[in-house]
Amino acid sequence: MSMNDLIPAIKKVLEEVDVVLGWTRSPAAGVAVPARFHTPDEADGAIFDSTCIHNLAVHLPRLKNSKVGIVAKGCDARSIVQLIVEGEVSRDRIRVIGVPCPGVIDVKRAWRCYGFGKKIEDAGGRVHMEGRSVPREEILLHKCHQCRDQEPVIVDLAAGDVTSMTPPPPPDKSGIRERFAAMSITERREFWREQFSRCIRCYACREACPLCFCRDVCSMQTREPHWTGGQVNAIESEMAQQVRISHMAGRCTGCEECERACPVGIPLMLLLEEQNKIIEELFAYRAGASLEDKPPLLTYDINRDGGWR
Amino acid sequence: MPKTEVKIIGFLCNWCSYAGADMAGTARMKQPASLRAVRLPCTGRVNPLLVLKAFREGADGVLVSGCHPGDCHYNEGNYYARRRLEVLERMLPALGIDPARFRYTWVSASEGAKWADVVNEFTQQVKQVI
Repeated sequence: MSMNDLIPAIKKVLEEVDVVLGWTRSPAAGVAVPARFHTPDEADGAIFDSTCIHNLAVHLPRLKNSKVGIVAKGCDARSIVQLIVEGEVSRDRIRVIGVPCPGVIDVKRAWRCYGFGKKIEDAGGRVHMEGRSVPREEILLHKCHQCRDQEPVIVDLAAGDVTSMTPPPPPDKSGIRERFAAMSITERREFWREQFSRCIRCYACREACPLCFCRDVCSMQTREPHWTGGQVNAIESEMAQQVRISHMAGRCTGCEECERACPVGIPLMLLLEEQNKIIEELFAYRAGASLEDKPPLLTYDINRDGGWR
Repeated sequence: MPKTEVKIIGFLCNWCSYAGADMAGTARMKQPASLRAVRLPCTGRVNPLLVLKAFREGADGVLVSGCHPGDCHYNEGNYYARRRLEVLERMLPALGIDPARFRYTWVSASEGAKWADVVNEFTQQVKQVI
């Protein structure tokens, strides 16, 4: 996609909103960083490429009092829809600029493997990093492998053809997901103990999550109710994460921002993906798939519920 | 080697299961002393975190019991509970907790005998996996 579609779209939307959330290029690292555009001049710096991994919907609940434009990939659009469904964001205050997304690169992983701060270039089906190159499929974010949201659910203005994107490549079969699936329950208990012993309780998972909108009354930190203490140890941290995961039931759109934000690399998506799968099996519900859906745990269906067992 | 004594936390609704458990007690039905009952207004009050916290604090098993669907004192509390508890039950293996240590069930105020059966059965089941 060229910026020829995106920049005019942002300028057009800026005529009716206060601010547009998008990306610009970081001069230091060469990858995309989130940016806010207030004027048409600022919008000239807007970009969209496969390093635009961030889910910008996280900023919407904090900008409740302004009209906001937002550049959104298909998956980001689902978070926006879910925020509207939950009543956190009002539809008439936002304008969504849909962009065609070819799948985004796991920048953190790329840098970990090939050197921090290396310039990343995505061209011709391969990702180039200062002389070295790998096939795109090997370095995509995990969610892109199973992408079912290439066409954004809500779009006010499309920058480019959002419906004509390449199908996602097959998922990686040798990763942590397969190892986790093969573990026994006891092994999983040990696995999580070990993982959460590294948690430093920075709450980045919560801050990066678009659907964690409770802010100051977050049960991971409140004294009343006192679900979990503030001590940094595996047991308290595991409980804190269980609080978050249970609150994500029927909300999580699987954007992977929590896992990406985690500074110690705890594979939180193992739990959230499992929960999303359960919710979809039980209630045929995918968070953010439609503006008309009711969150499954805020309703019930006398005729269908209970036939599960 | 199975444990001989287990601790089970029971979250019981005030209107049905608590009364049912009371009935089982007054009728002197034989049941293990493994269950510690917590009386709640309704199963709709059961936050799945109560269950997870009970496990974290060392419970061997957790039993949630309320009115039969359709009989809720508050009309719809257990309909909501049923959805939440089903999601929780299916999540337990991923969290590293044996789902055999958890059960949700419906016992009415008149079902003292059923209550004794539920407690007996569930205690046996928990003993198997602890």
